[in-house]
Amino acid sequence: MTHDSALAPLLAVRNLTLKHRGESGAATILQDVSLDLHRGEVLGLIGESGAGKSTLGNAILGLLPAEFDRMGGTILFDGEALDAADSRSWGRIRGRRISAIFQDHTASLDPLMAVGPQLEETIRATNDGISRQDARIRAIDLLIRVGIPDAGERYHSYPHQFSGGQRQRVVIAIALAGSPDIIIADEPTSALDATVQKQILNLLRELVDETRVSIVLVTHDMGVVSDITDRVVVMRHGRVVEHGVTSSLLDAPREPYTRSLLAAVPRLRLSDPETRQEAGENPKSPQPQARHELAGTPPILLASGIKKTFHRRSLAWFPKGHGKPALQDVTVALEHGGITGIVGESGSGKSTMGRIIAGLETAGDGTLEIDGTAFDIARSGARNGLLGKVQMIFQDPAVSLNPRMSVGATLQESVRFGTVRPGSERPDVATMMDRLGLARSLLARYPHQLSGGQKQRICIARALLASPRIIVADEPTSALDVSVQAEIVALLRENVTERGIAMLFISHDLALVQQLCSAIYIFKDGKIEDKGPADFIFAHSRNPYTRTLIDARPRRFTH
Amino acid sequence: MTSAIVGRLSQALLVLLALSVIGFTGIHSVGNPVYNVVNIETATAEDIRNATIALGLDQPLWWQYCRFMSNVLAGNFGTSYIYHLPAFALVMSKVPATLELATTAMLIAAPCGTLLGLLAGRRQGGWIDRAVLKASVFALSIPSFWLSMVLILLGAVAMGWFPSSGRGPTVLLMGQEWSFTTLDGLRHLALPALTLAIPNVALIARLARAGTAEVENQDFVRFCRAKGLSSRRILFRHTLPNISIPIVTMIGMQFGGMLAFAVVVETIFAWPGIGKLLIDSIQLLDRPVVMATLTFVSVAFIGLNALVDLFYAVLDPRVRLS
Repeated sequence: MTHDSALAPLLAVRNLTLKHRGESGAATILQDVSLDLHRGEVLGLIGESGAGKSTLGNAILGLLPAEFDRMGGTILFDGEALDAADSRSWGRIRGRRISAIFQDHTASLDPLMAVGPQLEETIRATNDGISRQDARIRAIDLLIRVGIPDAGERYHSYPHQFSGGQRQRVVIAIALAGSPDIIIADEPTSALDATVQKQILNLLRELVDETRVSIVLVTHDMGVVSDITDRVVVMRHGRVVEHGVTSSLLDAPREPYTRSLLAAVPRLRLSDPETRQEAGENPKSPQPQARHELAGTPPILLASGIKKTFHRRSLAWFPKGHGKPALQDVTVALEHGGITGIVGESGSGKSTMGRIIAGLETAGDGTLEIDGTAFDIARSGARNGLLGKVQMIFQDPAVSLNPRMSVGATLQESVRFGTVRPGSERPDVATMMDRLGLARSLLARYPHQLSGGQKQRICIARALLASPRIIVADEPTSALDVSVQAEIVALLRENVTERGIAMLFISHDLALVQQLCSAIYIFKDGKIEDKGPADFIFAHSRNPYTRTLIDARPRRFTH
Repeated sequence: MTSAIVGRLSQALLVLLALSVIGFTGIHSVGNPVYNVVNIETATAEDIRNATIALGLDQPLWWQYCRFMSNVLAGNFGTSYIYHLPAFALVMSKVPATLELATTAMLIAAPCGTLLGLLAGRRQGGWIDRAVLKASVFALSIPSFWLSMVLILLGAVAMGWFPSSGRGPTVLLMGQEWSFTTLDGLRHLALPALTLAIPNVALIARLARAGTAEVENQDFVRFCRAKGLSSRRILFRHTLPNISIPIVTMIGMQFGGMLAFAVVVETIFAWPGIGKLLIDSIQLLDRPVVMATLTFVSVAFIGLNALVDLFYAVLDPRVRLS
């Protein structure tokens, strides 16, 4: 979209500097930040965690907590300084002229109020003198516009009765209720599956073209930026690193930081593997010929015919309701020393499968054989001996380490309760720290003193120190920044394969799975939809669902 | 749904059964009621033996319990040893007094406590918050007998606004005697109800404050601000429903407690309620009345718990529609 840059920008941030008063003293969150937003434009605000992009969004909305001090600079909206606005003027700005979409669609809506009334109250608050009937008619129109089917009938449905994508559509309808000039969209699609993300981004783009609303899109995802933004501002540590028109910035980034951000985005390769071998990239392990030799040997893990149904918990004392099946007759095999991927969207049963294999969940039916030993998967607590065989790495390192135990104590525990195979030495914590690129001084620290990437390395060390035969990694990088994600993936690959451990890598990210895994299972609604060698699946699979997943990825990052 | 109700009812019956055993053996182990029944100065050994046989106290305890239970199943809790009235009817005659006292106290405590908690939690560290926190510590820690006496001193002795004790004139309504329908009855209610209400205001305010502080930090409240709602509407239409589940639970528990255990306040204000009846009956070893009171209180608690659960379903669509 073109815009006349001779016109004054709708929103202009000029030399904004913000400090945060914390317990450990003041920290500069934004340093001399300037940007322009024109009418009908989508401006991407990209950066990793701690870049200050969400703080900037909140500053524009006037929703900064009291601990933030403005040290300098102004925000000009339509020629007027927003910093001068008192709470009454904000009442005339928020919702009517500037509104917002937040990341977590579940948390954005009041769980106790039906969606129609939530939209209706917004319309009444942002349109003076509108009657209740008119507000309701407009609310239904808006719900239809954002693509809620049967909007009239679902008017009195509650947020939990909608899917994630539909909830985010409702949030978008609410953001549009006051016909605003600007929408601050803070990670609007990060909590959604790739196929739904694509639909929501398309909807936002349509709305921009249709209503000339401007969007500030705060995101960490290069794919989102490349899909819908007109211009991008790259931020790091509270400063603007680089800004420019999206296509030229992504094609020819000037700053090294932008280049490294772009390089860290995993790319999906749709061509045949031979071309890649010629290009001289690292071959995956086990190497093709090694895998061929292994074909005759039985798999280290065979989970067959797994069925699982979750019973919904209702009020205490009330009987269990009928659950919907999470896994229906699923069979998964892991080869010795290989990395196998499970891909699927939320609710596909991929995490449940991982948890059943790790012994954290029971299954209704099916058999589990690890290294020739059968385990009873119907009862919990009947899984003795699994500890040394299977270890788990979880998605969110922030909550998977005991906050009251030092790193050293956590790791020692793993060594103590792990197995020592005959002929091998008990693993050493300090050596492991070196191997994973962690300073030994971190052993005395507690989890809250570490960064997200460090914590996930500790989780990897904890898993490796137990000397397992199998590691189940459930979305181990999705809570991390892209640059950290690349490091963690490299570490996992090296350490797991050199120790001959088989890994089950669960992810929603096709490109990541392709980089790491030799075989892939694609899960959908508790069933295996597609499976095969990684190279084959992406280049040749004719399964329509696999193709949908591949198509949902931003084109710029496939080749 | 039917199986749920059956399950709840069978659990309630089990609780009642357990309670009857505990109550029965408990009151038996306190002492022999026969000495409170006969005139201890003039009674002969013969009189005492006859009274013991008349009350059935010569039988072994398990036999006494079985007879008691079979009578209860026939709807008869026995006759009070002291008042010579049917025990259950005696308890029921005290219910209106207790019910109107507890209800009035809760009608004061619940709205005041919730409102104070909302205002305090909305601006943590503000002057309302600090005042509510400090006052609530006082309100929770002062003993109720002291609070009663201070209120009598202020409201009755110094100002003369309210009577210092007793229950006002009653009016027959739905077969029971009620005092809240007359102005004088309300004036008699004021001081004891206030005494019971004050610690509950503090308790509910603290609970509401904690809930408000938590809910106000959630994304949907931030989103309500971003979408342009006034802070008053956010507070009452969004925050209040979201904090109300723990508050309603607390109200249910405290209300049940006031029905049975407002002894101190009922004694000081000479309020003819159930708490006072229970304590008197325990002292006099009036087993039928004790058992009838305990049964009434347990049934009341079970009923209140069911009401609280029902409220969860009314309030929270996730419970209701799952």
